[in-house]
This record gives sequence, structure tokens and C-alpha cells, in this order.
Amino acid sequence: MNLSRTKIGAILAAPTVVYMVIFFVVPSLILFSYSFWSSESYRVVPDFVFTNYLDSLHSAVFWKVTINAVRIGLTTAAISLVLAVPVGYYLVYVSRSQTMLYLILITWFSSYLVRIYAWRTLLGTNGVLNAVLLQLGIVDHPVDAFLFSSFAVTITLVHIYLPFCILLVTSSLSEIKPDLIDAARDLGTSSLGAFFRVIAPNAANGLAGAFMLTFILVAGDYVTPQMLGGSSGQTTGLLIADQFRKTGNWPLGAAQAFVMFVISIALYFILVSLGRATGLIVKRRTINPKGI
Amino acid sequence: MLLRILVWAVLAFLISPLIVIVLFSFHSSPALSFPFAGFSLRWYAELFNNAQLGSAVMKSLTVAFLTSVVTLLIGTTASLAWLRLGKVGRGFIEAVSVTPIALPGLFVGVSLLVLFAQAGLQLSTLTIVISHVVIALPILIVAMKARLALFDPSLEEASRDLGASQFQTFRRVTLPLIAPTLISSAILAFAVSFDEFVVTSFVAGTETTLPMYIWSMMRRTVTPLINAISTLALLFSILILLGAWLISHVRRRSAVAARIES
Repeated sequence: MNLSRTKIGAILAAPTVVYMVIFFVVPSLILFSYSFWSSESYRVVPDFVFTNYLDSLHSAVFWKVTINAVRIGLTTAAISLVLAVPVGYYLVYVSRSQTMLYLILITWFSSYLVRIYAWRTLLGTNGVLNAVLLQLGIVDHPVDAFLFSSFAVTITLVHIYLPFCILLVTSSLSEIKPDLIDAARDLGTSSLGAFFRVIAPNAANGLAGAFMLTFILVAGDYVTPQMLGGSSGQTTGLLIADQFRKTGNWPLGAAQAFVMFVISIALYFILVSLGRATGLIVKRRTINPKGI
Repeated sequence: MLLRILVWAVLAFLISPLIVIVLFSFHSSPALSFPFAGFSLRWYAELFNNAQLGSAVMKSLTVAFLTSVVTLLIGTTASLAWLRLGKVGRGFIEAVSVTPIALPGLFVGVSLLVLFAQAGLQLSTLTIVISHVVIALPILIVAMKARLALFDPSLEEASRDLGASQFQTFRRVTLPLIAPTLISSAILAFAVSFDEFVVTSFVAGTETTLPMYIWSMMRRTVTPLINAISTLALLFSILILLGAWLISHVRRRSAVAARIES
């Protein structure tokens, strides 16, 4: 028996590919076909109708929570990226501090629910934030408005997804050679200048990717809005999740999930073309021999 | 300097809510506010007398163990395949197996739910494990990809040239080299599974894992018991991470030392 290296590779790849096809690709396709099915008295009936999509698109509630999800998603992703870039820069170029990396990993791996719960404790009427503000005399009675608002949801989501964003930014920055920065510094640029003129353009694609990935995960998060968002801070995720509980309409939920998916993809293309138009994102160039 | 302050401020933002939770888990009064009334272990004592919590922890440990074993087995074949495939093959593995990381748990959860419903599979521990592997395997593959870039395929060729069989080469050369990566990834799979909530909430049926139990507590009341559970869960994840780190470092160091000696 003398199989070629690639053939053995293909055989060895089979378990992974088969597993992921059965339990990821196929379910996604089933969910997609569900979105065209209909639901009669809580039973799913195979069909080919567009009512689920039309109902979603004509629903005021759907648009309200979707706009919420997009707004919270964009704000959270933007704040996360702004905070992640200095940390990533520090980790890649200033000090490869293992302690810092492990602190970030610990927060990433610390329980999702615990972090939501922590913020509920911190922001509550009798919470730590109010206690501190009262002590400092900044407010004279506890502020109720911290909890159950978009503010509470956003700060918690930043806390939950920032470690992930930092890891993405760190990996995209570490692809840029430090020599480039040294060269820019030698030619007299300030460190901030080197960042904006050397690192940012080279890392732009990676940073845009980090932004979008954070956005997608945040916009799809429904547990945080459910716990901290109050009645005005709900997002599409909760609407979708509720359809998949016992008495829900699965085909409608499936259609809503795919509308959300399409919106995310559309936002990605808008972001990239905005970046291209403003020159923030450039196709990676080779060095121009004639100078810039 | 400014950068340094900024970076530590971000880290303080990440860490301080967790510290607050740990602090309040030792609070002698049920109040979750300052001033601090005093330290006590009463919440931990209450935890250990809670049978429901005990069975939720056992369920989570079982699921996490099974998830990491299955992930490790499939992940090992994926790693070996990775070493043998060209760009196209690798790209294919990545395309089918890394995408779930970029999707909200909600999407993965509901699509698995419709699969199980279509297949007529009753929701149980089995469906939880199947679903957790879908989340853990991509993480293992991402971690492995970075490490395998350092693997030198000529070591395998040398072993074959010296007359070792495929299996001997695997057993004596390849496996010892990739084992630390695989084991630390399996530990991460364990940690991911132990904490998984969103996907689990769709595919668990009537089973209660630890995060599901914490969730039901969070929804019912604000009880200081949650602080104590959270602190233990946090300690557990730190220990797991530390374990993963130690294994990958000690093994690598001993491998380097062995090579220097010989």
C-alpha cells in the first residue's frame, strides 16, 4: 500500500470535514430552507413562500430591534477597536508581556454569564458605581438610569468582546514588520505619525476584519440586551431566539436570522467601500520605486 | 508612557468587574453595595449544600470532558492532514471549520436545533456534546494552525527514509511533536464547553448544565450565591488556562532539552 502524501492528507482530513459538514453546513442549509416554509398551529410545514421574509420586513418591531442591534453593534465594535489598537500595539511593538496576554486570555475565558451579572451588580441602583458617585458627591441620590439602557448593554458588550478584539488586532499587527516602523522613525516621523502612516494602512484590512467580526458577534448577542437592556434596549437576537422556543414560529425566526445575516454582509461591504473611498483602506501595495 | 497608562487602564476595565464579584462573594451581608460589612464564607457554605447545583456541575464536567475527547480525536486527524495537504486542501479545511467562530452562538444554536428536529434526535447530553464540538473544533484548528507552521516535515521524511513504517513515524516522530499543542487545545475545548451558554440553551432540552443553572438563578433573583459560583467558575477557568500553558511550555522545554542532550 503506497498512498501519496496528499491522498493520506485527504483521508485524514475527512473526519473534520465530514463532522463540520453534517453539523454546521447542513444545519445552516436546513435553517435557510426553513425560512421559506410555513408554520401552521405551531407545526412546521414544508413550503416555498416568502411570507416569512415579507412579514419580517413589514414589522415595525423587527425594524426597531434590528436598528437597535446595528447601532449597539457598531458602537460596541468601534469602542472595542479604539481600545484594542493601543493594547495590540503595546503587545506587539513595546513589550511582549506574557502577563498582560494571560490577563486578557483570562478575561476572555471567564464566564460569559458572570460578566453580564457583574455589570448588573456594578450598575444597579444600589450598585458599586452609584456608591462611588455618592461618596464622591458627584450625585446626591442613586442614578437608576445606569441599568436597563443602551449604555448598560454597550459597556457590558465592550467588556465581553474586547478581549477577542484585542487578540484579533494583535494578530493582524504582528504581521507588520517592526523594520517598517524603525525606518519611518529614522526618517523623522513621530511615533503617532508612524502609526497612522505606516501601521494603520498596512493593518487596515486586518483592523476592518476585527471590527466586522466584533460587530457580527455583538449584533447577534441577545442575552446581554435581555438582562441589561430594559424594554428599549432589545435586539433582533432576542426576537429570533424567542421564535425558537416551544411556541414560536421557526420559519419566521429562520427568515429573521437570514435578514440579519444579509444586513451584516451589506454593512461589511459598505464599510470596506467607505474605507476605499476615503483612502483608509488600501490594497496592499508593493513598494513604489519612484517614491510616493 | 501615555500608551502604557492607556493600556493598563484598558486592562483595569477588563479585570475590575471580576474583582468586584470575587470581593462580594466573601461579603457577610446579602447587600451588593458598599460600604463593605465584613468577610464571611457563608455563601460558599450554602453552595456546598445545594444539590441542584451539584448535579449541574457534574453535568457540565461530563459534557466538557466528552467534548474535549471528541475534539481531540478529530483535531488530531485534522492536524496530521494539515501537515500533508497543500494550499487548496488547507483552505478547504479552514473554510468549513473556522467559519463558526465568526458567527453568533444564536445562529449556530438554532441551526443545530432545526437539524436535531429534522433528524428526530431527542435533545439530550448527546446533542449538547455534538454542538459543543462544533464550537470547540474551530478553536482547536485556529490554535493548531499557528503552531504547525513551526513543524518541520523533513523530520517525518527522515524517519521514513530510515525505514520506519507510516505508523511508527506517526507514533515516534509526529505525535510527540504535536502532542503539546493538541493537549493544550483539548484543555481549551474543555474550558469553552464548560462555559458555553447560548448554543446550549437551544440544544439542551431538559438537561441543566452549570451555565444554564446560573442563568435560571440570575433570572429569578439577585442572590449573592451567584457571586460565589462565579468566583469558583473564574478560579476554574484560570486553573484550566494555567494547565494548558504549563503543558505546552513544559513539554516544549523538555523536547528542546532532549534534543540538546542527544
